[in-house]
Amino acid sequence: MALLEGRNLRKTYRLGRRNTVEALRGVDITIEAGEMVAIMGPSGSGKSTLMHLLGLLHSPDRNHGPAPEVLIDGQSVANLSDRTRTQMRAKTMGFVFQSFNLVPTLTALENVALAGEYAGASRSRATATAREALAWVGLAERADHRPMELSGGEQQRVAIARSLVNEPALVLADEPTGNLDSGHSTEVLGLLRRFNRERGQTVVLVTHDAEVGAFCDRIIRMRDGLIVADEPVAPEAAAA
Amino acid sequence: MRLLRELSRRKLRTTLTILGITIGIWALVVFSSMANKINALVEGGSEYYADKILVTDGSAFGTAPMGLESADAIRDLDGVAAVDAQIQLLFDEEAGVSFGIPELIIGAVPGADEGLEQFQLELATGRMITPEDDGDVVVLGSTIATARDVAAGDTIEIRGRDFEVVGTLQPTLTAPDTTALVPLSAAQEMFIETLPPLITDSVEPEELVNQIVVYPDAGADVDEVAAQIEGAVANSATLTGAEFDEQVGASTAIFNAIIIGVAVISLVVGGLSVINTMAMSVAERTREIGIRRAIGGSRGRIIRALVAEAGLIGLIGGLIGLGLGALVVVLANEAGRAGGTVLFDLTPETALFAVGFSTILGMLAGVIPAWSAARLDPVAALRYE
Repeated sequence: MALLEGRNLRKTYRLGRRNTVEALRGVDITIEAGEMVAIMGPSGSGKSTLMHLLGLLHSPDRNHGPAPEVLIDGQSVANLSDRTRTQMRAKTMGFVFQSFNLVPTLTALENVALAGEYAGASRSRATATAREALAWVGLAERADHRPMELSGGEQQRVAIARSLVNEPALVLADEPTGNLDSGHSTEVLGLLRRFNRERGQTVVLVTHDAEVGAFCDRIIRMRDGLIVADEPVAPEAAAA
Repeated sequence: MRLLRELSRRKLRTTLTILGITIGIWALVVFSSMANKINALVEGGSEYYADKILVTDGSAFGTAPMGLESADAIRDLDGVAAVDAQIQLLFDEEAGVSFGIPELIIGAVPGADEGLEQFQLELATGRMITPEDDGDVVVLGSTIATARDVAAGDTIEIRGRDFEVVGTLQPTLTAPDTTALVPLSAAQEMFIETLPPLITDSVEPEELVNQIVVYPDAGADVDEVAAQIEGAVANSATLTGAEFDEQVGASTAIFNAIIIGVAVISLVVGGLSVINTMAMSVAERTREIGIRRAIGGSRGRIIRALVAEAGLIGLIGGLIGLGLGALVVVLANEAGRAGGTVLFDLTPETALFAVGFSTILGMLAGVIPAWSAARLDPVAALRYE
């Protein structure tokens, strides 16, 4: 069974009374457990919207099409309450964003622990696992620094630690290297790859950078709200 | 701790908001302390007058002389159990202007109430006046004794005469605190000197009283007895316990209304400033709230954190307001004590209420911005710059 399935995904944003944007125009997608998949496409192709639907941050709409469906581990999430969806985000998903999105007043350790607390761990338990997670990404000694005191690459590694601390089924990364120079990009991608290989962590990342796409097992290409190509990356390229 | 860190991010704004609440709570504390004092006075008075009828001359604010024969006339009426004829006059010959109750001298015959007085005075030092005392001896109320720093065994000058202090009283928080009790004869001698020569030539001091405390029989109709007294003694005015409550109750009600007014103003002003601060804080943290929601922070958690933050603003403002209010109360009482005017009484209940009130106020005011924060769309909030 696929880890994640989307059927007939449509999303229309209403910007004004007569100005609507069809961000997604009917997308079917399947993500298998243990995969590392890149969703690629130019700006406005709908890749971020797709990620928001898969991450339960938004719900798909019908827009005169067939009923949409999002299945996680075979379970439909269509009729879940906001509370349950929030719980699922906390427990079964990790998020990495382009602009890192750490809470500025919290230290690196507290930022990572926050995800643990949201998933239901006590503060002391969450702090202990957060310390471990920071060690995984090589930032154990930077645990008590605020985001402002860390470099971009370090902030993104904290964000990766945060996304992994609950050992979620799925990590969703939206342009994770978009704000990083190539050295830090490689470092961050290497980390995601390592967790994917060593722990079988499923990773879905959105990018418009071909080099990032080449790092993954599979590339889904989008254009104008539709999937236009879905192909595996040549093994030798992925290994590189 | 994290909450304090959040507040310290916006030091100026948080400080100003706390200041707003501080002023409200300060006013609440000071006014409530004043109300406590006045309510205690009134309660004491109402307790004191509950079981008796006070008879005075009806013509001159109750300070004009009455003859002792009036007391005898009252004693013969139906429903009268005991009659205590007294002299009441101001402690100082020249009455200054002061807040609170003036210091009084009361001259009476000990035991004239025949044990019917329910308002019990307790001694701090020394003894009470006895029927055997007929010289210049005095039992001082606690405020007078404290202000002049005297106790049993000392001597005190009252209206140019040296009195031996035979006892001092425990505080009652009401009239007896500012009263000097002397034998009737001594009070009569002092009283006659205050009267115009025309009158003094025609009466003997020992014939004079100016207020008569009447104790009705148990079960007697107090109003009925009061009416009889007014009929039997020409030009007399009576005051029963119920009448006292009625007269004084009206002024207490006004005062309590002022307190409620202050509380309501501080509620509105403080509440609005907390709402304003928290709404701006939410706007500034839109992105952060988006992050928290995206990584699995529930609406409840977002609301709880913001409400706790607002409550903390209220708590800090309340504590500072209480501190400043207590300072004013202590300083004003210290300054007033020399003049015998203690105006404030800050009770633990008032203190707890003030702090609890401002904390709950802060939390309630935080609910609205917290709710709007929790309703944010996480995706839109994440894009917010």
